[in-house]
Amino acid sequence: MKTKADFPNINDRQPEGLKDDGNPFRVLIIDDSMFVTKQINQILTSEGFEIVGSANNGESGVEKYKELYPNIDLVTMDITMPKMDGVECLEKIIEFDKDAKVIMISALGKQDLVKKSLLIGAKNYIVKPLDRNKVLERVVTTLKKQ
Amino acid sequence: MSAMIDEAIERQEEKQQKKIDFKMVTFSLAGRDYGIDIMKVDGISKIDKYTYVPNTYPFVKGVYNLRGDIISIIDMGKMFHIQQPAQAAKDDSKLENILIIKSCDLKIGVIVDSVDKVLGISRESMQDPPSLFGDINIKYISGVTEVDDRLYIILDTDKIFSEEEEKKAYQTESDEIDEHDSIETMDSQEESASPGINFIIETLNTFSRFHVSPVNRKWVEHRYDQWVEISQKRGQEPQLVDEADANEFLQTFFSRETHQLWSDEYREKMESILPAKMDGPLDVWNPGCGKGFESYSLACLLKRKYPENRIKVWANDSNLLEISMATNIVLQKAQIPAWINNGGFIQDGSGGKVFTKAVKDALYFEFHDIKHKNMVPNMNLIVARDLLSYLEPEGQKKVLDEFHGKLKSNGILVLGENESIEHPGFRAIEAEALSAYVKE
Amino acid sequence: MRVEYINPFVEAAFSILKEVLGDDLSRGELYLKATSQPILGVTAIVGLAGDVEGRVLIDLTEKTAMKIASAMNGEEMTTLNELAKATITELANMITAQAVTKLSELGFTFDLTPPTIITGEKMEITNYEVEALIVPIETSHGKLEINVALRERN
Repeated sequence: MKTKADFPNINDRQPEGLKDDGNPFRVLIIDDSMFVTKQINQILTSEGFEIVGSANNGESGVEKYKELYPNIDLVTMDITMPKMDGVECLEKIIEFDKDAKVIMISALGKQDLVKKSLLIGAKNYIVKPLDRNKVLERVVTTLKKQ
Repeated sequence: MSAMIDEAIERQEEKQQKKIDFKMVTFSLAGRDYGIDIMKVDGISKIDKYTYVPNTYPFVKGVYNLRGDIISIIDMGKMFHIQQPAQAAKDDSKLENILIIKSCDLKIGVIVDSVDKVLGISRESMQDPPSLFGDINIKYISGVTEVDDRLYIILDTDKIFSEEEEKKAYQTESDEIDEHDSIETMDSQEESASPGINFIIETLNTFSRFHVSPVNRKWVEHRYDQWVEISQKRGQEPQLVDEADANEFLQTFFSRETHQLWSDEYREKMESILPAKMDGPLDVWNPGCGKGFESYSLACLLKRKYPENRIKVWANDSNLLEISMATNIVLQKAQIPAWINNGGFIQDGSGGKVFTKAVKDALYFEFHDIKHKNMVPNMNLIVARDLLSYLEPEGQKKVLDEFHGKLKSNGILVLGENESIEHPGFRAIEAEALSAYVKE
Repeated sequence: MRVEYINPFVEAAFSILKEVLGDDLSRGELYLKATSQPILGVTAIVGLAGDVEGRVLIDLTEKTAMKIASAMNGEEMTTLNELAKATITELANMITAQAVTKLSELGFTFDLTPPTIITGEKMEITNYEVEALIVPIETSHGKLEINVALRERN
């Protein structure tokens, strides 16, 4: 596993998590696994992103998104969650904000659901296990796609 | 996959070289190296003459006065039926090497060819004895270890001597019973009518995990008579001294056409015990299917005989290596009998001939131990050739009851051709070269 | 256990563990156990439903669980706290998901249920006797066993 020691020194370049105006991108993490939430949090904050909230099921994920809107730039979304799963949660968020940028976080074996999510309006997906490069690369591409 | 396993083994071997926590005295006997826990060894001695004691076990050579202690002198070679290589008669004046062993409050002197040295090893490097140790009954071996390319068999002296003591105690006891209760001894006399065959029963179990029981007793007795003859011709004792012997003894046990696709002739025999028509889907259980030749033969046979019925063969084996090969079997033309080849069951595959999808779909191969819970549906036919003989008697009974429970009424059970059962729920079917039963 | 199911689980366990631990792993010999009862103390469970049902357990000692969770989080954990549990649960999830992907490539379909974790003091899984395939894996943090019990719905 990548640890803090692997994090590059970000002082000599513009961190990926900052917008052109110098303010951080704001991210909401919706995931029922504390481990995954922490992992994403660590990777993104080390690059200057701001985690503005997290939710551990689809229902509170939708609520959080509405609460934060419009001060939110990106959502990472787990697929398998209690109460409301990630696909339904995505649907509700897109319904509310058709331009929402949502990245699906999926374990292998959920291709069908990933495809479905992309059709609904997810902008990208990442297959677990997560690592720093994979997460940053997908997040940055997604944010650049206007 | 196997590369991974090899790697794992190698790594384990490396680890084993570390700490020494077991010291043993090593000695050689009939050309082999043995070790005994140093804590059990009281001393080493060279002795000349010991006193012969009449009426004792053949392996007790006599007693000896060791610094005031009277100890029994035992010939381990005799005790374990180890054949000593032919050697010149011992010069009486020659000193014998004796290991003095303390075990179960006894002090015993064991004659060995030579005492080698004290060797320190790590307990971790000790491995379970492979099942093919020729001479010494496996239960007396606590492990084996290899040091500098020499294989040492580590003996469990407590087990050896406690058991011999028990035997003695038991015999004295039964001698007493002898006088009071003649009925019981009648039974036990019958059991031990032929001491030779009893010895073979035990060694078949040790070397080949073959259990002699009413299921195969008739065959074993018949085979034993043959074996005595064979041995006489060879000028040998009719004993099974190693795995090769046990395998040779069992050679004629196995049902015909075991590791091959069934010939047309055998297919006909098998078909003769099946009804002309069957209703509904057919489920067949084939436990102990090995590499699957039997299962494929069955699937083809049934598809041929009952083309209208859905066929499913539930094949399982607890040998992972064999059953893994069953699912993707590739055949050479010569291996395929005409009735299968021409029956539309075979197609070209990479590297040879393979079964068609229709045949494969009829087969369900499982890595499974039949002694565990069996999750199969009710069956029309169970083919379990030469399986019961490799289960312990309790296991046999359990599996047989399970066969009975899982068979639909009028369902058919096929055992190995040298196996037979007496079970209230089964009636034997007359059939050539098959041991078959119908559920009543 | 159906022969075709075995390798996907073995390979998935191996590749995920290698990826998250970056470790030299070795595998012990596969064997069958009469029941699927876990034994080591910490157990993460992922259920499988569909044409085939059953479950996959990752069974390990508390000590090994903490060491693996520490390695995966890049920080030392001395108790089996919520984060450590979530980490092991996620591990089970990833392994099972990868195995199921391989199986779906072979034409077998399953659905996964969200993973749960059970630890020592609560370790009482009502256990109907289902034979389990055990895949023992040795990591530098200790041993873990992948315990797979699956059966076809008849």
